[in-house]
Amino acid sequence: MLELVLYFCLLSLLSIGGIAAVMPEVYRYTVDVQGWVTGPEFVRLFAIAQAAPGPNVLISSLIGWRVAGLGGAVAALLAMCGPSSVLAWYLGDLWERFREAPWRRAIQRGLAPLTVGLIFAGGFMISTPTGADWRHVLIAVAAAAGMLASKMNPLWLLGAGGIAGMLLL
Amino acid sequence: MADPERPVAPPATLGELFWGFFAIGARGFGGVLPWAYRTIVEERRWMSLDAFNEIVSLCQFLPGPNIGNAAIVLGRRWFGLRGAVVAFLGMFALPFVWVLAFVVLLGHWVDIPLVRAFVTGMGVAGGGLFLATAIKLGRPLWPRALPLAIAATAFGAVGLVRLPLLWVFAVLVPVALVLARTGKL
Repeated sequence: MLELVLYFCLLSLLSIGGIAAVMPEVYRYTVDVQGWVTGPEFVRLFAIAQAAPGPNVLISSLIGWRVAGLGGAVAALLAMCGPSSVLAWYLGDLWERFREAPWRRAIQRGLAPLTVGLIFAGGFMISTPTGADWRHVLIAVAAAAGMLASKMNPLWLLGAGGIAGMLLL
Repeated sequence: MADPERPVAPPATLGELFWGFFAIGARGFGGVLPWAYRTIVEERRWMSLDAFNEIVSLCQFLPGPNIGNAAIVLGRRWFGLRGAVVAFLGMFALPFVWVLAFVVLLGHWVDIPLVRAFVTGMGVAGGGLFLATAIKLGRPLWPRALPLAIAATAFGAVGLVRLPLLWVFAVLVPVALVLARTGKL
């Protein structure tokens, strides 16, 4: 449990570009390294965090729940939000001053491609929880195409994915 | 409730702050940011669109959950530490209960094959939404080779080789920053 909290505190500071960017690392650590949840189980927890209202950082509290119950859920969420919140607390007021600074623009330009690659890695890992399964890949690619081709609420795409899962899986 | 004539004014009480953020979290199906905009700018008129956009760009720059950061920054600006805590709690109160309720229900029903297939299908589709998000965010990089190479390296190292993120960052972040600083990115 302590391990989980410390690790999520670290991820909190590494999550440049938002929580989506560390999702592949959360997957790797909780599934591949620690074995707290299996790949398919991770995908189901991810489904809940996506389908429920609220920020997708809530996946951390679901993993905390799996590891240590209610206390784990609270601790994991606070660990994932705490360190970055402290940073936000201190930088919130300085923002006006360095908003136009060249180094800030350089950081943003430099990190943007990294964020893109990491979010893509997260999508890839979550849509292949049991290795390459054409049914999973088909559902994921269809959902991605739906999001790129239309402006509909992603919730409909998740629901369609669920129905496709009932038919295919 | 949206009334463009109403003057912009920060929340007067901690209660108002709490319920505003509660409304954002509670309605944030499929993405919280649109609801933050609707609540803060249109319904409650706590700040102007420009000021809101400023906060969004700050929170996207900072690590951590973007909208969690917004709760901290705005809560602090208006009420100090109490405000930051209250806004954060308001935002997460209902969604937290929701996801735990779902996970408990799922624990009971996961052995039913159709339930399992439905939730797995939803999760895999959610993975697809991540792919689409990455493609959307990546479009401005196209067709410049260097940023695409960095994105591809990050994907390969983390998604395929499955290296720890810390290692990948230790190498790629300095490279990306130097390239960006020297105008090559």
